[in-house]
Amino acid sequence: MILAALILILSTAMFFFYFQVTCQKVLRRQFDREYFQSIVNANRLEFPSLRKSLEEFGTPVDYPRLRMMLKCDFLALTYLLKNAANVNQRYSNEERLLILYFRWQFLSLAVRRLLKVGEKKAVLRLTSVLQYFANVVGQRVNTVRFGNLTAADYLLNL
Amino acid sequence: MDSGIASYGLQYGCILIEAALIIYVARSSHRGRRGGVLLYLSCLLATALARHYALCMYGLASWQYYNLYWTTDFLLVISAFILVCLFFRRGCLHEEKMWRFVRLLLVFIFVLVAGISGLSFSHNFSHLFTFFFVVEFNQNLYFTCLVLNTLLYLLLQQIDSADDQLGLLVCGVGIQFAGPAATLALVHLTTGEGFAQSLAYFTMPLCTLGMLLVWAYAIVRVPGREVVTRSRATVLAEVTAVLNV
Repeated sequence: MILAALILILSTAMFFFYFQVTCQKVLRRQFDREYFQSIVNANRLEFPSLRKSLEEFGTPVDYPRLRMMLKCDFLALTYLLKNAANVNQRYSNEERLLILYFRWQFLSLAVRRLLKVGEKKAVLRLTSVLQYFANVVGQRVNTVRFGNLTAADYLLNL
Repeated sequence: MDSGIASYGLQYGCILIEAALIIYVARSSHRGRRGGVLLYLSCLLATALARHYALCMYGLASWQYYNLYWTTDFLLVISAFILVCLFFRRGCLHEEKMWRFVRLLLVFIFVLVAGISGLSFSHNFSHLFTFFFVVEFNQNLYFTCLVLNTLLYLLLQQIDSADDQLGLLVCGVGIQFAGPAATLALVHLTTGEGFAQSLAYFTMPLCTLGMLLVWAYAIVRVPGREVVTRSRATVLAEVTAVLNV
Protein backbone atom coordinates (compact mmCIF):
# COMPACT_ATOMS: atom_id res chain seq x y z
CA MET A 1 0.00 0.00 0.00
CA ILE A 2 2.82 2.41 0.88
CA LEU A 3 4.58 1.59 -2.38
CA ALA A 4 1.36 2.17 -4.36
CA ALA A 5 0.82 5.52 -2.60
CA LEU A 6 4.41 6.53 -3.36
CA ILE A 7 4.03 5.53 -7.01
CA LEU A 8 0.74 7.47 -7.22
CA ILE A 9 2.30 10.67 -5.85
CA LEU A 10 5.52 10.45 -7.87
CA SER A 11 3.81 9.48 -11.13
CA THR A 12 1.28 12.30 -10.83
CA ALA A 13 4.11 14.77 -10.20
CA MET A 14 6.06 13.37 -13.15
CA PHE A 15 3.01 13.62 -15.39
CA PHE A 16 2.67 17.34 -14.70
CA PHE A 17 6.43 17.80 -15.00
CA TYR A 18 6.53 16.21 -18.47
CA PHE A 19 3.46 18.18 -19.54
CA GLN A 20 5.18 21.42 -18.51
CA VAL A 21 8.49 20.51 -20.18
CA THR A 22 6.66 19.61 -23.41
CA CYS A 23 4.89 22.97 -23.45
CA GLN A 24 8.13 24.83 -22.77
CA LYS A 25 9.84 22.96 -25.61
CA VAL A 26 7.02 23.96 -27.97
CA LEU A 27 7.32 27.57 -26.75
CA ARG A 28 11.05 27.56 -27.59
CA ARG A 29 10.25 27.43 -31.31
CA GLN A 30 12.23 30.09 -33.14
CA PHE A 31 10.48 32.50 -35.50
CA ASP A 32 12.47 34.06 -38.32
CA ARG A 33 11.70 37.50 -36.90
CA GLU A 34 9.69 39.10 -34.10
CA TYR A 35 6.19 39.08 -35.53
CA PHE A 36 4.53 39.73 -32.20
CA GLN A 37 5.38 43.44 -32.03
CA SER A 38 3.01 44.47 -34.83
CA ILE A 39 0.18 42.41 -33.34
CA VAL A 40 0.80 43.93 -29.91
CA ASN A 41 0.72 47.47 -31.34
CA ALA A 42 -2.34 46.89 -33.49
CA ASN A 43 -4.37 45.35 -30.67
CA ARG A 44 -2.94 47.35 -27.77
CA LEU A 45 -1.95 44.23 -25.90
CA GLU A 46 -0.41 44.75 -22.50
CA PHE A 47 1.69 41.64 -21.83
CA PRO A 48 5.03 43.04 -23.15
CA SER A 49 4.90 46.01 -20.81
CA LEU A 50 3.88 43.73 -17.98
CA ARG A 51 6.83 41.42 -18.67
CA LYS A 52 9.22 44.34 -19.03
CA SER A 53 8.17 45.81 -15.72
CA LEU A 54 8.60 42.43 -14.03
CA GLU A 55 11.96 41.61 -15.67
CA GLU A 56 13.61 44.98 -15.37
CA PHE A 57 12.16 46.53 -12.27
CA GLY A 58 10.44 43.61 -10.54
CA THR A 59 7.57 46.01 -9.97
CA PRO A 60 4.59 44.24 -8.42
CA VAL A 61 1.40 45.15 -10.26
CA ASP A 62 -1.79 44.90 -8.23
CA TYR A 63 -3.10 41.38 -8.58
CA PRO A 64 -6.68 41.94 -9.87
CA ARG A 65 -5.34 44.25 -12.59
CA LEU A 66 -2.63 41.75 -13.54
CA ARG A 67 -5.18 38.96 -13.87
CA MET A 68 -7.42 41.18 -15.96
CA MET A 69 -4.57 42.19 -18.28
CA LEU A 70 -3.49 38.62 -18.86
CA LYS A 71 -7.03 37.38 -19.35
CA CYS A 72 -7.92 40.12 -21.84
CA ASP A 73 -4.74 39.54 -23.87
CA PHE A 74 -5.40 35.80 -23.83
CA LEU A 75 -8.98 36.23 -25.07
CA ALA A 76 -7.91 38.63 -27.80
CA LEU A 77 -5.08 36.42 -28.99
CA THR A 78 -7.06 33.16 -28.95
CA TYR A 79 -9.77 34.90 -30.99
CA LEU A 80 -7.15 36.07 -33.47
CA LEU A 81 -5.53 32.63 -33.57
CA LYS A 82 -8.82 31.13 -34.60
CA ASN A 83 -10.07 33.82 -36.95
CA ALA A 84 -7.23 35.96 -38.28
CA ALA A 85 -5.82 34.64 -41.56
CA ASN A 86 -6.75 31.12 -40.54
CA VAL A 87 -8.47 29.31 -43.41
CA ASN A 88 -9.56 26.33 -41.28
CA GLN A 89 -10.87 28.60 -38.49
CA ARG A 90 -9.71 26.17 -35.80
CA TYR A 91 -6.75 25.79 -33.50
CA SER A 92 -3.82 23.52 -34.34
CA ASN A 93 -2.84 20.78 -31.86
CA GLU A 94 0.07 22.71 -30.38
CA GLU A 95 -2.17 25.76 -29.93
CA ARG A 96 -4.71 23.62 -28.06
CA LEU A 97 -1.91 22.27 -25.88
CA LEU A 98 -0.65 25.77 -25.11
CA ILE A 99 -4.18 27.03 -24.36
CA LEU A 100 -4.46 24.21 -21.82
CA TYR A 101 -1.03 25.13 -20.46
CA PHE A 102 -2.03 28.79 -20.14
CA ARG A 103 -5.18 27.84 -18.20
CA TRP A 104 -3.18 25.58 -15.94
CA GLN A 105 -0.58 28.30 -15.29
CA PHE A 106 -3.37 30.78 -14.67
CA LEU A 107 -4.75 28.48 -12.00
CA SER A 108 -1.28 27.94 -10.60
CA LEU A 109 -0.85 31.74 -10.41
CA ALA A 110 -3.85 31.95 -8.09
CA VAL A 111 -2.42 29.15 -5.92
CA ARG A 112 1.04 30.74 -5.89
CA ARG A 113 -0.57 34.05 -4.95
CA LEU A 114 -2.23 32.39 -1.96
CA LEU A 115 1.00 30.67 -0.91
CA LYS A 116 3.13 33.72 -1.86
CA VAL A 117 5.63 31.49 -3.76
CA GLY A 118 7.07 32.05 -7.26
CA GLU A 119 4.35 34.42 -8.46
CA LYS A 120 6.72 36.22 -10.83
CA LYS A 121 7.78 32.95 -12.49
CA ALA A 122 4.17 32.03 -13.28
CA VAL A 123 3.47 35.50 -14.75
CA LEU A 124 6.56 35.25 -16.96
CA ARG A 125 5.43 31.82 -18.20
CA LEU A 126 2.00 33.23 -19.00
CA THR A 127 3.50 36.12 -20.95
CA SER A 128 5.75 33.72 -22.90
CA VAL A 129 2.64 31.80 -24.02
CA LEU A 130 0.99 35.07 -25.07
CA GLN A 131 4.11 36.11 -26.99
CA TYR A 132 4.11 32.77 -28.82
CA PHE A 133 0.45 33.24 -29.79
CA ALA A 134 1.15 36.78 -31.00
CA ASN A 135 4.10 35.52 -33.04
CA VAL A 136 1.96 32.81 -34.68
CA VAL A 137 -0.80 35.33 -35.53
CA GLY A 138 1.77 37.82 -36.86
CA GLN A 139 3.44 35.18 -39.00
CA ARG A 140 0.10 34.06 -40.45
CA VAL A 141 -1.00 37.59 -41.23
CA ASN A 142 2.35 38.27 -42.84
CA THR A 143 2.17 35.11 -44.97
CA VAL A 144 -1.37 35.76 -46.19
CA ARG A 145 -0.77 39.40 -46.91
CA PHE A 146 2.29 38.82 -49.06
CA GLY A 147 1.82 35.12 -49.87
CA ASN A 148 1.03 35.06 -53.59
CA LEU A 149 1.39 38.73 -54.38
CA THR A 150 4.24 40.52 -56.05
CA ALA A 151 4.97 44.05 -54.86
CA ALA A 152 3.11 45.46 -57.92
CA ASP A 153 0.06 43.21 -57.32
CA TYR A 154 -0.05 44.28 -53.73
CA LEU A 155 0.09 47.99 -54.60
CA LEU A 156 -2.63 47.56 -57.26
CA ASN A 157 -4.88 45.85 -54.72
CA LEU A 158 -4.58 48.64 -52.18
CA MET B 1 -21.91 12.00 -23.84
CA ASP B 2 -21.94 8.26 -23.28
CA SER B 3 -18.62 7.26 -21.70
CA GLY B 4 -18.45 4.11 -23.85
CA ILE B 5 -18.67 6.12 -27.07
CA ALA B 6 -16.00 8.55 -25.84
CA SER B 7 -13.71 5.67 -24.92
CA TYR B 8 -14.19 4.01 -28.33
CA GLY B 9 -13.62 7.37 -30.04
CA LEU B 10 -10.35 7.78 -28.17
CA GLN B 11 -9.20 4.29 -29.11
CA TYR B 12 -10.07 4.72 -32.80
CA GLY B 13 -8.36 8.12 -32.80
CA CYS B 14 -5.21 6.53 -31.37
CA ILE B 15 -5.28 3.74 -33.98
CA LEU B 16 -5.57 6.27 -36.82
CA ILE B 17 -2.72 8.45 -35.53
CA GLU B 18 -0.53 5.39 -34.91
CA ALA B 19 -1.10 4.15 -38.47
CA ALA B 20 -0.44 7.61 -39.94
CA LEU B 21 2.78 8.02 -37.91
CA ILE B 22 4.03 4.54 -38.87
CA ILE B 23 3.54 5.35 -42.55
CA TYR B 24 5.21 8.76 -42.14
CA VAL B 25 8.25 7.37 -40.28
CA ALA B 26 8.59 4.35 -42.60
CA ARG B 27 8.60 6.63 -45.65
CA SER B 28 10.99 9.20 -44.19
CA SER B 29 14.72 9.11 -44.86
CA HIS B 30 15.62 8.92 -41.13
CA ARG B 31 13.72 5.72 -40.35
CA GLY B 32 16.95 4.02 -39.19
CA ARG B 33 17.39 6.56 -36.41
CA ARG B 34 13.73 6.31 -35.51
CA GLY B 35 13.76 2.51 -35.32
CA GLY B 36 12.68 2.57 -31.68
CA VAL B 37 9.74 4.84 -32.45
CA LEU B 38 8.70 2.62 -35.35
CA LEU B 39 8.95 -0.52 -33.19
CA TYR B 40 6.91 0.92 -30.34
CA LEU B 41 4.27 2.39 -32.67
CA SER B 42 3.94 -0.97 -34.44
CA CYS B 43 3.51 -2.72 -31.07
CA LEU B 44 0.87 -0.17 -30.04
CA LEU B 45 -1.02 -0.62 -33.30
CA ALA B 46 -0.83 -4.44 -33.22
CA THR B 47 -2.00 -4.43 -29.60
CA ALA B 48 -4.90 -2.09 -30.31
CA LEU B 49 -6.05 -4.20 -33.27
CA ALA B 50 -5.72 -7.47 -31.33
CA ARG B 51 -7.70 -6.04 -28.40
CA HIS B 52 -10.37 -4.73 -30.74
CA TYR B 53 -10.68 -8.14 -32.39
CA ALA B 54 -10.92 -9.92 -29.01
CA LEU B 55 -13.50 -7.38 -27.82
CA CYS B 56 -15.68 -7.96 -30.89
CA MET B 57 -15.29 -11.76 -30.76
CA TYR B 58 -15.58 -12.49 -27.04
CA GLY B 59 -17.00 -9.36 -25.37
CA LEU B 60 -15.74 -7.07 -22.60
CA ALA B 61 -16.49 -9.40 -19.69
CA SER B 62 -14.90 -12.50 -21.25
CA TRP B 63 -11.90 -14.33 -19.83
CA GLN B 64 -10.19 -14.30 -23.27
CA TYR B 65 -10.36 -10.52 -23.56
CA TYR B 66 -9.14 -10.10 -19.99
CA ASN B 67 -6.15 -12.40 -20.63
CA LEU B 68 -5.29 -10.76 -23.92
CA TYR B 69 -5.61 -7.24 -22.47
CA TRP B 70 -3.14 -7.77 -19.65
CA THR B 71 -0.76 -9.97 -21.68
CA THR B 72 -0.51 -7.33 -24.42
CA ASP B 73 -0.06 -4.68 -21.72
CA PHE B 74 2.93 -6.64 -20.43
CA LEU B 75 4.34 -6.92 -23.98
CA LEU B 76 3.85 -3.17 -24.43
CA VAL B 77 5.87 -2.43 -21.31
CA ILE B 78 8.67 -4.71 -22.56
CA SER B 79 8.70 -2.89 -25.92
CA ALA B 80 8.69 0.40 -24.01
CA PHE B 81 11.80 -0.73 -22.15
CA ILE B 82 13.49 -1.47 -25.49
CA LEU B 83 12.36 1.97 -26.75
CA VAL B 84 13.91 3.73 -23.74
CA CYS B 85 17.14 1.74 -24.29
CA LEU B 86 17.25 2.86 -27.94
CA PHE B 87 16.63 6.46 -26.85
CA PHE B 88 19.54 6.14 -24.42
CA ARG B 89 21.69 4.94 -27.34
CA ARG B 90 20.60 7.90 -29.44
CA GLY B 91 21.24 10.32 -26.57
CA CYS B 92 24.76 8.92 -26.02
CA LEU B 93 25.63 8.75 -29.73
CA HIS B 94 28.75 10.90 -29.28
CA GLU B 95 29.40 9.93 -25.66
CA GLU B 96 30.93 6.44 -25.95
CA LYS B 97 32.27 6.44 -22.39
CA MET B 98 28.86 7.37 -21.02
CA TRP B 99 27.16 4.77 -23.23
CA ARG B 100 29.34 1.96 -21.85
CA PHE B 101 28.23 2.87 -18.32
CA VAL B 102 24.58 3.35 -19.33
CA ARG B 103 24.54 -0.01 -21.13
CA LEU B 104 25.69 -1.77 -17.97
CA LEU B 105 23.12 0.14 -15.92
CA LEU B 106 20.30 -0.84 -18.32
CA VAL B 107 21.28 -4.50 -18.22
CA PHE B 108 21.46 -4.35 -14.42
CA ILE B 109 18.02 -2.75 -14.18
CA PHE B 110 16.52 -5.29 -16.56
CA VAL B 111 17.98 -8.20 -14.55
CA LEU B 112 16.78 -6.57 -11.30
CA VAL B 113 13.22 -6.04 -12.56
CA ALA B 114 13.11 -9.53 -14.08
CA GLY B 115 14.39 -11.00 -10.79
CA ILE B 116 11.85 -9.13 -8.65
CA SER B 117 9.08 -10.04 -11.11
CA GLY B 118 10.18 -13.71 -11.06
CA LEU B 119 10.08 -13.74 -7.27
CA SER B 120 6.71 -12.06 -7.31
CA PHE B 121 5.44 -14.59 -9.87
CA SER B 122 6.64 -17.55 -7.84
CA HIS B 123 5.03 -16.18 -4.64
CA ASN B 124 1.72 -15.47 -6.38
CA PHE B 125 1.62 -18.46 -8.71
CA SER B 126 -1.68 -19.71 -7.31
CA HIS B 127 -3.48 -16.47 -8.19
CA LEU B 128 -1.30 -15.37 -11.09
CA PHE B 129 -4.09 -13.88 -13.15
CA THR B 130 -6.10 -12.31 -10.36
CA PHE B 131 -6.96 -8.69 -11.01
CA PHE B 132 -4.91 -7.11 -8.23
CA PHE B 133 -1.74 -9.04 -8.91
CA VAL B 134 -1.83 -8.06 -12.59
CA VAL B 135 -2.58 -4.40 -11.74
CA GLU B 136 0.26 -4.26 -9.21
CA PHE B 137 2.69 -5.97 -11.55
CA ASN B 138 1.95 -3.67 -14.49
CA GLN B 139 1.97 -0.60 -12.23
CA ASN B 140 5.51 -1.53 -11.10
CA LEU B 141 6.69 -2.09 -14.66
CA TYR B 142 5.25 1.23 -15.85
CA PHE B 143 6.88 2.99 -12.94
CA THR B 144 10.27 1.39 -13.69
CA CYS B 145 10.05 2.63 -17.28
CA LEU B 146 9.04 6.07 -16.01
CA VAL B 147 12.07 6.23 -13.72
CA LEU B 148 14.35 5.13 -16.58
CA ASN B 149 12.83 7.72 -18.87
CA THR B 150 13.39 10.41 -16.25
CA LEU B 151 17.02 9.31 -15.93
CA LEU B 152 17.32 9.68 -19.69
CA TYR B 153 15.80 13.17 -19.51
CA LEU B 154 18.31 14.15 -16.81
CA LEU B 155 21.14 12.67 -18.87
CA LEU B 156 20.12 14.75 -21.88
CA GLN B 157 20.16 17.86 -19.69
CA GLN B 158 23.54 16.88 -18.28
CA ILE B 159 25.23 16.41 -21.67
CA ASP B 160 23.43 19.50 -23.01
CA SER B 161 22.03 17.56 -25.97
CA ALA B 162 21.30 19.51 -29.15
CA ASP B 163 18.76 16.91 -30.25
CA ASP B 164 15.48 18.78 -29.62
CA GLN B 165 13.51 16.03 -31.31
CA LEU B 166 14.79 13.41 -28.88
CA GLY B 167 13.89 15.73 -25.97
CA LEU B 168 10.29 15.92 -27.15
CA LEU B 169 10.11 12.17 -27.83
CA VAL B 170 11.29 11.55 -24.26
CA CYS B 171 8.64 13.96 -22.91
CA GLY B 172 5.97 12.07 -24.87
CA VAL B 173 7.11 8.77 -23.37
CA GLY B 174 7.04 10.39 -19.92
CA ILE B 175 3.40 11.37 -20.39
CA GLN B 176 2.59 7.87 -21.67
CA PHE B 177 4.06 6.15 -18.59
CA ALA B 178 3.23 8.61 -15.82
CA GLY B 179 -0.54 8.59 -16.41
CA PRO B 180 -1.02 4.78 -16.42
CA ALA B 181 1.38 4.29 -13.48
CA ALA B 182 -0.58 6.83 -11.41
CA THR B 183 -4.02 5.45 -12.32
CA LEU B 184 -2.99 1.82 -11.78
CA ALA B 185 -1.63 2.82 -8.36
CA LEU B 186 -4.97 4.50 -7.65
CA VAL B 187 -6.85 1.35 -8.70
CA HIS B 188 -4.60 -0.66 -6.43
CA LEU B 189 -5.07 1.74 -3.50
CA THR B 190 -8.86 1.91 -3.86
CA THR B 191 -9.03 -1.90 -4.25
CA GLY B 192 -10.57 -1.58 -7.69
CA GLU B 193 -13.50 0.73 -6.97
CA GLY B 194 -15.71 1.60 -9.93
CA PHE B 195 -14.56 5.21 -10.14
CA ALA B 196 -10.85 4.34 -10.19
CA GLN B 197 -11.36 1.61 -12.78
CA SER B 198 -13.36 3.83 -15.12
CA LEU B 199 -10.73 6.57 -14.63
CA ALA B 200 -8.05 4.05 -15.65
CA TYR B 201 -10.00 3.06 -18.77
CA PHE B 202 -10.06 6.75 -19.82
CA THR B 203 -6.62 7.82 -18.66
CA MET B 204 -4.64 5.15 -20.49
CA PRO B 205 -5.91 5.92 -24.03
CA LEU B 206 -5.79 9.66 -23.21
CA CYS B 207 -2.13 9.44 -22.23
CA THR B 208 -1.40 7.38 -25.35
CA LEU B 209 -3.15 10.03 -27.42
CA GLY B 210 -1.09 12.74 -25.68
CA MET B 211 2.14 10.87 -26.42
CA LEU B 212 1.16 10.31 -30.06
CA LEU B 213 0.39 14.01 -30.56
CA VAL B 214 3.68 15.06 -28.97
CA TRP B 215 5.53 12.52 -31.14
CA ALA B 216 3.72 13.69 -34.26
CA TYR B 217 4.77 17.27 -33.48
CA ALA B 218 8.36 16.17 -32.76
CA ILE B 219 8.72 14.02 -35.88
CA VAL B 220 7.02 16.36 -38.34
CA ARG B 221 7.98 19.81 -37.03
CA VAL B 222 11.21 19.55 -35.04
CA PRO B 223 14.52 18.80 -36.77
CA GLY B 224 16.68 16.03 -35.31
CA ARG B 225 20.34 16.34 -34.36
CA GLU B 226 21.62 15.46 -37.83
CA VAL B 227 19.99 18.60 -39.26
CA VAL B 228 21.38 20.78 -36.50
CA THR B 229 24.84 19.24 -36.85
CA ARG B 230 24.85 19.74 -40.58
CA SER B 231 23.84 23.36 -40.31
CA ARG B 232 26.52 23.93 -37.68
CA ALA B 233 29.13 22.32 -39.95
CA THR B 234 27.93 24.47 -42.83
CA VAL B 235 28.16 27.58 -40.69
CA LEU B 236 31.66 26.58 -39.56
CA ALA B 237 32.75 26.04 -43.17
CA GLU B 238 31.34 29.43 -44.14
CA VAL B 239 33.10 31.16 -41.24
CA THR B 240 36.39 29.44 -42.12
CA ALA B 241 36.02 30.50 -45.74
CA VAL B 242 35.39 34.10 -44.69
CA LEU B 243 38.39 34.05 -42.34
CA ASN B 244 40.62 32.64 -45.09
CA VAL B 245 39.56 35.41 -47.42
